[in-house]
Amino acid sequence: MSALYIIAVGLGSAFVLGMLNERQKNLGYVITLAALTVMSAISAQWLIIFAATGAHPIDIFTAGTQPPFAINLRMGVIESALTLLISLTGLLSAIHMGNALVARGRRAMAVLVIAIMALCGIVLTRDIFNLFVFFELIVIATGGMVLLSDDERAVSAGFKYLIVSQFISVLLLIGIIFAYHATGTLNIDGMAEQGASAFALAFFLMFIAVIAELKPFPANGWALDIYESSHPGFSAIFSAATGTAVLFAVDKLLLIGGAEWFPVASGVGIVTFVGANLLALPQTNDRRLLGYSSIAQTGLILTVLGQQDILGQNYLFIAGGLLLAHAVAKAGLYWLSDLVASRQLTAWAALKERPLLVFAFVTFVAMLCGLPPFPGFYAKWELAHALAAEGRMAMLALILFGALLEAGYLFRWFGYLIKRESDEKVVCSATQAIPVFAAVIAGWVLGFVWGELSVTRFGLNNLLLTLPLLFALSFLLIEWAPAWLKNTVAIGGMVAFFVMTYAEYDPLRLIFAVIFLIGGAITLLASYSAHGRRVGFYPAAMLMYAGMIMLIRTTDSFGFFAAWELLTVGSYFLILRGKESEPHALSYILFSLGGAFLILAGFALAASAVPPAPTFSLANLAALTAPVAPWVFVLLAVGFMTKTAAIGVHIWLPGAHAEAETDVSPMVSGILLKAGLYGLFVLLMAMGKQQLFGIELTHALLWIAALTALLGNLMAIFQEDGKRLLAYSSIGQMGYAVFGLALMNHLGWLMALMFVINHYIYKAMLFLSVGGVAKRTGTRDMYKMGGLITLMPLSFIATLIGIIAVSGVPPLSGFGGRWIFYNAIMTSDVRMPMVILFLAGPIAFLYLFRLIYTIFLGQLKDEFRRVKEAPFWIVLPQMIYVALLMIFAVFPGIALRRVDEYLNQFFPEGGLGWSGNEITSAYGYWNPVSIMIIICVIFGVLLAWLMFVDRKAQKVKQFNIVFSAEAPYRPETTHFAWNFFAPYRKALGFLVLPLATMFWGTITGLLHTGADIARRFYTGNGQTYAFHFLLFVIVAYAIRIGF
Amino acid sequence: MAHLAMATGFLLILIGAWGALTNRNLLRMIVAFTIADTGVNLVIIAVGYMRGRTAPIIDGAVSAADAVTRIIDPVPQALVLTAIVIGVGVTALMLAYTYRLFEKKRSLDIRDYTDLKG
Repeated sequence: MSALYIIAVGLGSAFVLGMLNERQKNLGYVITLAALTVMSAISAQWLIIFAATGAHPIDIFTAGTQPPFAINLRMGVIESALTLLISLTGLLSAIHMGNALVARGRRAMAVLVIAIMALCGIVLTRDIFNLFVFFELIVIATGGMVLLSDDERAVSAGFKYLIVSQFISVLLLIGIIFAYHATGTLNIDGMAEQGASAFALAFFLMFIAVIAELKPFPANGWALDIYESSHPGFSAIFSAATGTAVLFAVDKLLLIGGAEWFPVASGVGIVTFVGANLLALPQTNDRRLLGYSSIAQTGLILTVLGQQDILGQNYLFIAGGLLLAHAVAKAGLYWLSDLVASRQLTAWAALKERPLLVFAFVTFVAMLCGLPPFPGFYAKWELAHALAAEGRMAMLALILFGALLEAGYLFRWFGYLIKRESDEKVVCSATQAIPVFAAVIAGWVLGFVWGELSVTRFGLNNLLLTLPLLFALSFLLIEWAPAWLKNTVAIGGMVAFFVMTYAEYDPLRLIFAVIFLIGGAITLLASYSAHGRRVGFYPAAMLMYAGMIMLIRTTDSFGFFAAWELLTVGSYFLILRGKESEPHALSYILFSLGGAFLILAGFALAASAVPPAPTFSLANLAALTAPVAPWVFVLLAVGFMTKTAAIGVHIWLPGAHAEAETDVSPMVSGILLKAGLYGLFVLLMAMGKQQLFGIELTHALLWIAALTALLGNLMAIFQEDGKRLLAYSSIGQMGYAVFGLALMNHLGWLMALMFVINHYIYKAMLFLSVGGVAKRTGTRDMYKMGGLITLMPLSFIATLIGIIAVSGVPPLSGFGGRWIFYNAIMTSDVRMPMVILFLAGPIAFLYLFRLIYTIFLGQLKDEFRRVKEAPFWIVLPQMIYVALLMIFAVFPGIALRRVDEYLNQFFPEGGLGWSGNEITSAYGYWNPVSIMIIICVIFGVLLAWLMFVDRKAQKVKQFNIVFSAEAPYRPETTHFAWNFFAPYRKALGFLVLPLATMFWGTITGLLHTGADIARRFYTGNGQTYAFHFLLFVIVAYAIRIGF
Repeated sequence: MAHLAMATGFLLILIGAWGALTNRNLLRMIVAFTIADTGVNLVIIAVGYMRGRTAPIIDGAVSAADAVTRIIDPVPQALVLTAIVIGVGVTALMLAYTYRLFEKKRSLDIRDYTDLKG
């Protein structure tokens, strides 16, 4: 059917609606739905034809003559996709707004149909005046649709909108008539042939008028009020459909203007993207926030329109991916907002009882943030590469900064949804659910389509076809099952995948694969202790593991980045599950996404120097040369170090790890941190030493690592909270591992690997035992515990073994790490960082001692007399870890020997000698077996002697002490374990001032303050907004003519 | 003649814009917009005008054959008709809005309608 019928059906049905009787409301509604369905069907039919045959666009001539003597419409693949998007949005919104439409009657329905028809008209027409007419129709229809809202304030919002629209139409008309005067045609293609240079001012007026319809920042107060107060069904149209149509109109005008006008589009676009996202930060009203986000997203796409000179044939892939992701997600969110009774963001907590709605929300947020596997992700990747290839790094940086702001408020919102309380009930009727889930399905389908396109166009991967991701997503389908069943499936899947792929890894990757898959499976044993269905846990956990395993299996930059984002998102959901973890999960995701953006920028920059873009083998990083290479190194290294929590970007870790659930802490600490180390391995393997401004970058890395180790350990000793102590200790431990890597010699790397293995085992074990104790006692404050050794003996054993291993004293594997470490630094020529690292060692003793002393020794509190050993499923993995630690302590060769040989290809010098049980280096030898025997003998003798001499010792009981017969004020101050290391705090406290926290706090504070100041310009007065608009036009013109 | 019309048109646009930006009264603002609209229409007509030619009506006086050299450009006139119709529509809509606003708050001052902001 000809595309002209889209217009005809729209107009015709609006006429029919007008002729209906006032009471035939249901009939009118049926006609409305039918008309919108037919319009969608026509578009869909053309989309299928164009997509299947690749046919050229078809011109439709009206009035029986050729342009410029008559208006012509054009239907091509883009047009059909956009009109389909518009009319489907209209149809779904009509379903969504069913009650409101029926209540308002036929006039409202006619207005809706006209609005959709006019939006399609904007897409289809090739006549500039016709474009103006459709624009005016939209203004009038918008004016009508706004009145659908129950919100009284919508009336004033609509009036403000009309005021500014009047100004816009004056500019547009004047522009059109002078452009016509100059070219003698109203046909867009005709004008394009002649070029805009002959009528630059007229073109500017047309162009700025059409851009104004996109609500560019800061001339957009009038539109925001519409977003906030309209019926959400209409806001969905206003955001998704109107935005789409106007963007395409801008694209048509750029056809006339040519490359000369691209910078204007880019400039307005990027200012809008960053500005609107910034202003969205302090918003508390959900629909206004979505309005800001809509404006920001259209700004981003406008930026892309302005970059089309360098995007070439990828232009549509990028702009289309961003546009569709935005439209589908934003419409979905607006429809979803109708289910929430109040308008504060926190009120969305009402949705959390409905997993399907939460899933819908997650889908939309992920689409907006450009996370895999949605279209925006592929588009973002391509865009970053195109920008980097042309050296437009500043533009890339602005885009990524804006995207980070957007992720900030969207994920904060998601945190509210999951963690806040709401007593409002969610009532979701079928008519409200249909549009939301249609959008969810559309989102995933588009993700698949863009994945396929990325395969055929660029040879990337379709992420939705990768086995680990599919496995993770399949848990969404079995959410109804009990937790133990899902746990079994998860463990089985991970082990099976390891067995399937075991042979494919080189020794280095094998160690990571074992930790990620087998180690992950062991940690999951603890999850058997959870009851119920545990909705949301398994998809998140499996997403994280899928990301991690994809990370080590991939060999190219795209796969690496995709895996990185997947594991980040999965772990974020996992961390967010903790009771008090809302702010910590947010800071985790922000640091991680910030890091991910740096990695993206690094890869894009690298790809610009090592063709073929858009993805390259990671090994090709080695081919990079200065001046690009050191920058790539810095970007990637900092990106990876956000995950290993290097000092300065560590502030997310303590809260995230400590507040996580008992069985989640070992996953995100013992396992997840290794992803960052793996990234550094890959980076250093390929790029090795780099110099920037004369600084050896690995040397800088050494300093960072040493400080991280020292300060991480120092901060750990001052914690009262057992899990926080362990979390800070992880920061220190990661410092050691990074130090080993940065040494850039054979033994340093071996030591780093030793830390990878050791840290996984003992940190997972310690988090489980301390977590188990916290679970039983109901507190994480160590001074509130004490004397639990007899009640929780197995947890005690695990902790004891754990701290012996961490501290690096013989006989356990920590000592092996130290031994290799000492050998490694002897072969290196750095001095000062080494001294710092040495200092960090004894500090570790302090916090470890505290751990065992305060929790398990000392006096048992009265309220804990009936405490039982931790649940079986939490103890079991600990016992497995004890066994593993013992085995690894006695036979380190099973893991290290092959790696030692593997490392020879990078560092032929300085390997270890392996003969029997003995390991030799250039400086000495280490025999784990005999060390174990010697230590055991000494320990046994000492213990027996102690027991002998202490046989008459009297046990001090709790009431053997008094405080002048009074209960002390703040009893914990008298507890020996409270503020345990107060003297050290006096001496070294200045080192642990929360400088990094203050720094990042100041930055977010400044952003919020800036946004709050900018908000004051949005006075709510329609005249002020009109004035903003005129000022915007004048400033844009001044910049344009090079003022 | 054409220049005069065009200058008048632009003057009307400026007057209208000035009026819409400085008058707080909703009705006065709408009047200002209609003045600006009239100005725009005048500009369009002026652009289409050609000295010494006749109205674009093809009948006994002007045959189809020599229309190209005798009549003025008909397109701007057609555009103006459309623009006028649209202008009327938008004005009517704004008046309807004003009515609703006045019903609600009994005020015609734009400063009283700033519930939504920021």
